[in-house]
Amino acid sequence: MILEMEKVRILGPRPRIHDTLLVLQDTGLLHLAHNREPGPHLEPLQLAPNQREERQSLRRALDNLQICLALLGHAYEGLAGAPMLTQPADLDRWSVLGRQLRPVVEDLRASLADLEEEQALIKKYVPFLRTFEALLRSERSWTNAAVYHLVLRREDAELIGQLQKSLEAAFGREFDLFRQDLPGEEVVLLLVVTRRVARAVERVLNEVRVEEVPVPASFGRSLADAAPVMLERLEVIPAEMAGLRAEIERLSNRYGLELQRGRAAMRDRIAELEALPFSLVTEHAFVIEGWLPAREEAKLRHRLASDFGENVIVEAMTPQAWADEDPPVLLGNSRFVRPFEAVMKLLPPPRYGSVDPTPLVALFFPLFFGLILGDVAYGVAVIALSLLAHTRSDEGSLMHSLSEVGAVCGVAAIAFGLAFGELLGDLGHREFGLQPLVLNREEALLPLLGLAIGLGFIHILLGLALGVVSARRMHDRRKARARALTVGMLLAGGVDILALLGYLPHAVLLPAAAGLVLGLPLLVHCEGFIAPVELLSTMGNVLSYARLMALGTASVMLAVVANQLSEAAGHLLLGVLVGLLFHMLNLVLGVFSPTIHSLRLHYVEFFGKFYVSGGVPYRPFTHWRPEGEATST
Amino acid sequence: METAVIALAAAVAVGLPALGTGLAQSRIGAAGAASLVEKPELTGAIIIMLAIPETMVILGFVVSVLIMLQAG
Repeated sequence: MILEMEKVRILGPRPRIHDTLLVLQDTGLLHLAHNREPGPHLEPLQLAPNQREERQSLRRALDNLQICLALLGHAYEGLAGAPMLTQPADLDRWSVLGRQLRPVVEDLRASLADLEEEQALIKKYVPFLRTFEALLRSERSWTNAAVYHLVLRREDAELIGQLQKSLEAAFGREFDLFRQDLPGEEVVLLLVVTRRVARAVERVLNEVRVEEVPVPASFGRSLADAAPVMLERLEVIPAEMAGLRAEIERLSNRYGLELQRGRAAMRDRIAELEALPFSLVTEHAFVIEGWLPAREEAKLRHRLASDFGENVIVEAMTPQAWADEDPPVLLGNSRFVRPFEAVMKLLPPPRYGSVDPTPLVALFFPLFFGLILGDVAYGVAVIALSLLAHTRSDEGSLMHSLSEVGAVCGVAAIAFGLAFGELLGDLGHREFGLQPLVLNREEALLPLLGLAIGLGFIHILLGLALGVVSARRMHDRRKARARALTVGMLLAGGVDILALLGYLPHAVLLPAAAGLVLGLPLLVHCEGFIAPVELLSTMGNVLSYARLMALGTASVMLAVVANQLSEAAGHLLLGVLVGLLFHMLNLVLGVFSPTIHSLRLHYVEFFGKFYVSGGVPYRPFTHWRPEGEATST
Repeated sequence: METAVIALAAAVAVGLPALGTGLAQSRIGAAGAASLVEKPELTGAIIIMLAIPETMVILGFVVSVLIMLQAG
């Protein structure tokens, strides 16, 4: 549900504005609001030139600290516990530290990158050097010869024959071509020609489009000169890299914590400076307005009273005073429902005053997932994977929430697996005598289709009913009436269909049809001529839930095929391996597909009936925390 | 002969929508990938848009199953 928000106005003497902001930052409850009308004696507080300069210099200093932290491998770590009180001298000290440390760390990282690049470059030459080591050693003594070093991909090996023919045609026997296949995908060539035909050979190489291995200039003029230097460097580089890494590690251990403290303090101070223009001031007083959850107001009052006595007061504003504003949105759901807020994060938050669908998502999302996957073994696997992700993720992180959603979905898959009598497809039935409690998905396709569409019908009706509530809350009576009429007409249509199928007495057929006929003009009156199209589209939405049956059937059929392939293998071990492979593939598809389609059914079909997006997320003025750290209220 | 025609009808019922879905998804996928480069926050919306044309093949599958069931 969307928590009830309250707008408060904080008033106090102007000299206490800095302390008040620090306390507000410490409590982390107030979402600052821009004051709309300054009023005759109030004016927005502008940052003084020295404060603007301080903000600029803090941003530069923060940049230095963040780069140092990133290069030292601390980018996303945060400080546990309450933030420390900082003095301007501390900020100066961290600023100097960042300025001095940044070039040192950047140099170390750049040197390390250079060495890695050099090592990679030499490693590329090593096969060549090792293959033609003896020839390269004697190369310098061949005063009358020109030597070309060539590397080709194995797939281009036909070029070698072409090259050989071109050389023979041009120079007869005045050349030697040595070839060596490397273990990888490459073939190395060494071409020796008499010096007088060197230019002509280069032309031939160009024609055949064979490129010579370039010799890095830093190692020597020719590969023969470079070879010993390169091999020597290859021996030395690991030690040099280890030295640099040790130095980075030393700096990280020595300054990591200090840099993190500096980053947090600087971000807090910048946030404080940026909060100042949210205030209005007179010559002697200040006013700060903001939003907070209504249930937290007493906490804020108490904290300000204990710190400032009667000097700073909190005044709750009446709802009429902010009637034309959009309060920020904070969802406050129970422990079971809260993880499903992660599913909602793919959409913009709901608008304040509308309906938060998270509790219904918590009910229907696992239901749809389970209905599609519906297999005991797959459900157990989903739970195991979710538990693994749960233990490896930080509390409050998105992954933590998603792992909890996954576990609930896994339980639903087990429940539906028992209902359909499925354990690795039909294996449970054949090997362990598992019987379906409700229906067999392999055979009862029509009942499954009915179940899926019936569920869709209920889901859409619920969405339309919430649409009525939402429209009333947003004071849109016409829309509320139209939604209510659509609910009535869908119900009448549903009754007619059930009566025609023989599930309801025929006596209800006529009244329900009459309701449909009478309802249509009323609907057109409420929503205009688009209403019949909307109604048809809603019926299409209901049919869209047929995907629950279609995907479920596909899932069980794939599992059955996996079992059949496993049996066809003809060997126990091979059969187990084939079965395992195909079931794993089916599990991956079986997890991805229900997730996407359950999301789609919610976002498109269900939310389309009532969801009002465009809410402003509640972002209280608080101490900085690294991303991913919990900020629950 | 009749069985073959029924099987063909069922195959066409699912095959043609599958082609349509593939065509639509190829365009949405390409446009979505391009959008994601500029606005990664659109991931959710793009995944949903990508899944929207699947309705065609899913309904095609349902029709195909109905054809086969009606034919016994």
